[in-house]
Amino acid sequence: MAFNTLFKKDLVTETGKLTAKQRRFAYASLTPILLYMGVFTLFPILWAVVMSFFSYSPIREGSGFLGLGGANPFIDIDNYIELFTGTSKPAEVFRLALKNTFIFTALVLPLNLLVTLPLAVILESIGERFKTLFRAIYFLPTISSSVALVIIWSYVYAPGWGLLSLMFKAIGLVPPKSWLQDPSLVYFGVPLAMICVVIAHVWQDFGYNLVIFVAALQSIPKTLREAARVDGANAWQEFWLVVVPLLRRTVLLTSVLTVISSLQVFVIFQLLTRGGPKNQTQTLLLSIYENAFKFANNLGLSAAMSMVLFIIILTLTIIQFRLLRTEWEY
Amino acid sequence: MKKLLFVFVLASLLLAACGGGAATEAPASNEPVEIRVWGHQAPAFNEANQKMFNDFMAANPNVTIKYETFPWDVFIQTIQTSLPAGNTADVILVPGGYTCRYASGGQLLEVPADVMTLDAAKGIFFDAPLGGQTCDGKLYGFPAEYNLEYGGAYVNPALFEAAGVAYPPAWANWDAVVEDAKKMTTIGSDGVMTVAGMHYTNSDQLFTYFLAGILEQGGNYFAEDGRHFNFNSPEAVATIQKLMDMAQKDHIVDPIIFNADSEWVGDSFAQGHNAIGVLGSWYAGDAKIGYPDLVFDYVALPPMMGSEHKFVSVGGWGYVVGKSAKHADIAWKLAAFLGADEANVLYFNSTSATIPAMKSVAADAKYVEAVPFASAVLPILDKGAYQGDLTDPDQLAYEIIYPTILDAIQGNITAEEAANSINEAANAMVDAAQ
Repeated sequence: MAFNTLFKKDLVTETGKLTAKQRRFAYASLTPILLYMGVFTLFPILWAVVMSFFSYSPIREGSGFLGLGGANPFIDIDNYIELFTGTSKPAEVFRLALKNTFIFTALVLPLNLLVTLPLAVILESIGERFKTLFRAIYFLPTISSSVALVIIWSYVYAPGWGLLSLMFKAIGLVPPKSWLQDPSLVYFGVPLAMICVVIAHVWQDFGYNLVIFVAALQSIPKTLREAARVDGANAWQEFWLVVVPLLRRTVLLTSVLTVISSLQVFVIFQLLTRGGPKNQTQTLLLSIYENAFKFANNLGLSAAMSMVLFIIILTLTIIQFRLLRTEWEY
Repeated sequence: MKKLLFVFVLASLLLAACGGGAATEAPASNEPVEIRVWGHQAPAFNEANQKMFNDFMAANPNVTIKYETFPWDVFIQTIQTSLPAGNTADVILVPGGYTCRYASGGQLLEVPADVMTLDAAKGIFFDAPLGGQTCDGKLYGFPAEYNLEYGGAYVNPALFEAAGVAYPPAWANWDAVVEDAKKMTTIGSDGVMTVAGMHYTNSDQLFTYFLAGILEQGGNYFAEDGRHFNFNSPEAVATIQKLMDMAQKDHIVDPIIFNADSEWVGDSFAQGHNAIGVLGSWYAGDAKIGYPDLVFDYVALPPMMGSEHKFVSVGGWGYVVGKSAKHADIAWKLAAFLGADEANVLYFNSTSATIPAMKSVAADAKYVEAVPFASAVLPILDKGAYQGDLTDPDQLAYEIIYPTILDAIQGNITAEEAANSINEAANAMVDAAQ
């Protein structure tokens, strides 16, 4: 009690406020990180918000504050109107990219969960030494360079002589002429190229969720599973009626994280398909990048696209926070 | 705490907003000066440039040249973001078609009259590469090379021999090229094309040959106002139909497998997957370094749609000086040393195996001796013109023309539909930019 009182006295005055010395320390400690965040995070976000209301290109010498004005005029919400109703090529591609991004996310999420959850259960049930080994193996693609992984997958998907085509031929099947470049190959409304990218991405990304699921499985009290077994539950019933309900929170967390990360995938699309064929794998980030840096440096339009993506991710994050706020207890 | 937050937000905004803008200053003679030069990571270019930098520094002992290179994508992004911020290198080797984009935005310095006038440059350089360094009648740089995506093709002697086709080829017309290509096309037992007789379906080539096809027939791809386009003319439709027929009737390429994103023409050629690879002359230098054992020749192609060669070019790489150059006078001295000194230009084009932008170098026997393959296209250099103001050349080429024509070649739309689609999208692009 005496220690607590002394310790408290050191930190705050009797009125509960920080002393001048403590304030100085707080300011000195916070200054570098606040400056860093301000310059490299806050300013770019504010800048993007502002730019989305201008017809802005950095290669035009505008007038006024930061070149906003003159050749880079304020155009109100025209960029947003153009994106959703315009007939220009970038606007058409943006709407297609928005749809593709949702399709990609809708495919990645269930596939990722279907792979990671059973795999985590299997991993959890094997011996400790093998568990560590396999966990490392499965996590390896996640921490590897995306560029290197894309090179591997480009050999897998190469037309004719690629690994997948050779495997198809070996078992007597006729592979498609091109896995990534034939726009006519569409299955259940999803282009083959998109399916191929989804598979490559899930292979690269599932290690994260696997680690989270393994940790969640380890945290489930053994007594609950033992009680189920005593009550006569078989392995499937134990998994489905005991383990899965207790993993609901983890499933929710991984789902939201997977959705958010899927919305932001860039490298694999940029290097494996470059948005093709016929924009069938064009995603939001690719569109933002191309309009900002490839085509006429239309940063205003790109900034508006970024804001759309930002609002989508922000909404999902708010939903995530709301859902995870629930108290859970085993 | 709110006050603290406010102060830091304000400080960070000001810090982020302030940058560059270095004023040009004249150094005292013999004062040590560092000149920064930016280029992209191309082994052949870098090798050629480094020797010239050493020569310049030897002749100007107070000058140190710092040469920085970037991978293509990083290079383009770096220029685009650094030029407006005013913190670029003094001299930049910019790709074809980019000079006017930055110059019209006020980001580049005009070549001083005492260094070279536009009239003088017209007598020295070919029209097409010079056009790439000229904007609104003003000269903004020195062309280092002539970017030629037209008029030549890489040929693989082994595949010619294997198919019993005469080598080296001496094609009298385009039909003769197609006939040879048909003989060299190979289809595997599974029905998949393993060797394309002629790979012409790369993005740059479809764009270049589409424009050239229109010009060769006497057409014009610009509308009367000079800003909008006329891409659905009979000449445009005929050109697209010709490009479609070579794939759909003559079967010399499978456009699903062979295009810009799959079996890219350069890599595909190096692996023996196409017998005639239609690609720019610039590839020869890279191929010699990347595939030292590759046996190939670069030969002339006859006009595709007419009786004589007519084409446009994006210009080519050129040396420019940014408006933020700290020592503009020395930067221009270096740029002229690299791009306007005949001996250096000869060295650069010979070493990098690029096509000369300078007329006298193209006519120099030493150049032909050093780059024998280039002799195939030297006779057509004066037939080319600069492509003109295409509003956004990259968007037009890679987002509008290439994917639409590829779609037609793949059999998904007709030539008329492709021409109308290109015309509509291209003119919408012009309208959006106005």
